[in-house]
Amino acid sequence: MKELKILAVIVVLVLIGYWGIEPLAHSIMHKHIEEAIKKYNLPDFKFSDLDPIPSGLQGNPQAGKEAVKTFCISCHSVKKEGINAPMPPQAAAQSFGVVPPDLSNIGGILDEKYLFNFLKNPQKATENPKFAMPALGLSDQQAIDIVAYLKSIAKKNMSGKEVVEEGCVRCHSIKYQKIQALSPPDTMKKYLGKVPPDLSVIYKAKGEEYLHAFINKPQAILPGTGMPRVGLDKEAQEKAIAYLEEIADPHKEQRTKVGIIVLAYLLVMVGLTYAWKRKIWKNLH
Amino acid sequence: MEKKGGLLEWLDKRLAVNALWRIMMSEYYLPKNINFLWSFGVLTMLVFAILVISGIFLLMYYKPDAKLAFDSVNKTIMMDVAFGWVFRHTHAVAASIMFLVLYIHMARGLYYGSYKAPREVVWITGFLLFVLMSATAFTGYLLPWGQMSYWAAQTITTLFEKIPFIGPDLVIWIRGNYIVADATLTRFFALHVVFLPLLLIFVTAVHLYAVRIVGSNNEDGIPMTKEEKKVKGIPFWPVFMAKEYFVMSVFLLFFFYLVFFNYNFAMDPINFQPADYLQTPMHIYPEWYFLAYYEVLRGFFFSQNLGLIAFVASMFIILFMPWLDRSPIVSGKHRPLYKIAFWIFIFDFIFLTILGKLPPTGLYAWLGLAGSIVFFLFFAALPIISKIEKSQVEKAGR
Repeated sequence: MKELKILAVIVVLVLIGYWGIEPLAHSIMHKHIEEAIKKYNLPDFKFSDLDPIPSGLQGNPQAGKEAVKTFCISCHSVKKEGINAPMPPQAAAQSFGVVPPDLSNIGGILDEKYLFNFLKNPQKATENPKFAMPALGLSDQQAIDIVAYLKSIAKKNMSGKEVVEEGCVRCHSIKYQKIQALSPPDTMKKYLGKVPPDLSVIYKAKGEEYLHAFINKPQAILPGTGMPRVGLDKEAQEKAIAYLEEIADPHKEQRTKVGIIVLAYLLVMVGLTYAWKRKIWKNLH
Repeated sequence: MEKKGGLLEWLDKRLAVNALWRIMMSEYYLPKNINFLWSFGVLTMLVFAILVISGIFLLMYYKPDAKLAFDSVNKTIMMDVAFGWVFRHTHAVAASIMFLVLYIHMARGLYYGSYKAPREVVWITGFLLFVLMSATAFTGYLLPWGQMSYWAAQTITTLFEKIPFIGPDLVIWIRGNYIVADATLTRFFALHVVFLPLLLIFVTAVHLYAVRIVGSNNEDGIPMTKEEKKVKGIPFWPVFMAKEYFVMSVFLLFFFYLVFFNYNFAMDPINFQPADYLQTPMHIYPEWYFLAYYEVLRGFFFSQNLGLIAFVASMFIILFMPWLDRSPIVSGKHRPLYKIAFWIFIFDFIFLTILGKLPPTGLYAWLGLAGSIVFFLFFAALPIISKIEKSQVEKAGR
C-alpha cells in the first residue's frame, strides 16, 4: 500500500512537470499562431478575403486557350499542349528570381476562386508584394476563361507527391527524396530574402496544424515571409501534407507494429518477475 | 556458486570470485525498511546500459561533421538503416528518462538523509555522476546538429565569457572557433562518446564500492551494523534483486511505451531544422532536465553576473548537503520541519522547470526571481533547522 502511495506521488509530480513543459509551454510559445488560426479560421479554403467570382460568369475553355496563348506563354510553358518555355529555366530564374511554372497541371491543384483572383492581381492573391508575376489587366471574362481552360487540361486525381512537385518544388528542395528545387538558390535568395527550407523532414519540424495554416495563409502565421500564398484547394493541400508526413516519418507503421510486440513481451516479463519476487519474498516475513 | 570443481572453482583459486560475489551480492545486506525508491539506483544503471548499447549502434552510422551530421542522423539512421529509428528513439528517450530516474534517486537521498555521515563519499560521488551525466547530455545534444542543438550550445558556451580575465579566451578554447562550428562538433563528439562515459563508469564503480562499505540508508535512518543487518536485513542477491527485476520490468514497460508511442517530448521539433548560424530560433531553451537551473540563470533578470553566479551555485550547492544539514536526526520521516522545507523545495524545482521553458518576460520574470530565491532559501534554512532539531533532541535526551 505504502509503495503504491509513493508511486502515486511520483506519477502526479511527473505529470505536473510534463503538463508544464509540453502543453502549457506550447500554448504560450505558440500563442500568436493559435490566435492567427482562430482569427482567420485557418485553413480557410474559401479564401474569404478574396473577391468572389462574379455570379453568372461562365468560363469557356476554348476562349481560355486563346487567352493563355496571348497572355501567358511569353513566360510560361504548357508542355501538355506542346508549348515550350520561351527561355531556358536558368535564364528565366535570372530574370524573375524563380522559374515560372509549367501550366499543364496547375489547374488541378489550385482553388478556382483563388486562381481567378490570382490572374487579376497576383500580388494581392499571394499576399506577397514582391511576387514576380505582374497583373495583366485581364477582364473578369478572360480570367474565368483561363481558369476553365487550365482546369480542363489538368491531370485529375493527382497524388500527394504530384501535388508537391507541382506546387512546392519550384522553390523548395526535398533532399531526402533526391528532388532539387527548379530555381537556383542564389536567385531565390535575392528574390525571397532567403533560400526556402528543405522539405525532407519539415513535417516533423512544423507539425500538421502549423503546415495547414501556413500553406493556406503564410502572412498570417509568419508576417513578412517570402512564401507566397499558393492557393491549394482543400484536397490538394491535404494530399500534399499527407505526403510530407509520409516522407518525414516513413516507418510509422513499422513503429506501431514493433511497439506492440515489445510492450506485449514486457507485459509477460512483468508477470514473470512478479511471480519470482513473490516466491523469494514469501519466506521472508 | 560454492560448488566444488569445475570452472568456478578454477576461477575462485585465481580470482577469488566467491569472495567477490559474497561481498558484492549475496552477503551485502540491505535493511528491510526500505521502499521501492531504493530501486532507482539500479534503474540508473539499467538506463546507462541502454544508453551505451543504443549509442554504440548510433555510432556505427553517425558522422561527426558539420556538413554530414544532420543528414546522417535524420536520413541514414532514421530512414535508411533497418531499425535505425529504434536506436535513435531509444537513445533520445533514455537520455531524458535518465534524468528523471536520477532526480528521483537524488530526491530519495535528500528526503531520507542518505547524504549524512558516514555516507558523504556516496553523496559526493553521486553528485559527480550527476555533473558528468549533465555534461554527457549537453555534449550529446549538439551531435544531431539541428537548430536547437546549435543554439543551445551557442548560448551555454557564451556563458563562460563572463568568467573574469580568462572568459573570452576560454569560450574560444571550448568552441575551437569564434562561433560554434565544426571544430566544436568534433570535440563534443569526442567527449560524448569516449571521455565522459569512461569517467562515468569509473565514478560509478567508486559510488557502488562506497555503498558496499557504509551500507544502504533506510526509511527511518537507523544505523545498523553489518551483524544487525545479517539478522534483520535482506541480502542484495537474490532477495533485493528479485524485487528489483520486477521494478525494472515495470519501468521498461513504461520506457518502451515512450520510445514507440510518445517520444516527442525527447525530440524537439525545432531540432528537425538543420543548424543555421545566421538564423536564431525565436525561443531557445535547454532540454527539460536543465530548465530549472536555466531559470535560476534567467531569474536574476536585472543582473547577468548575479544570474550567472546563481546558476553555478544552483548546480553545485547540493554537493554541500552533508555540511549544511548538521541535524542529528537522519531521516526526513522523523523531521517535521525538514519535511516541509523538502516539499517546498521539490515543488519549487518543478515550478522552475516549467518556468524555464516560458519566455522570460513580464510576470514570468518575477515568478522566476521568486522561484530562484526559494531554491536557495531551502539550503539557507538547513543550518537553522539543524539547530532547532539539535536542541530538541538534547531536551528529549535530558
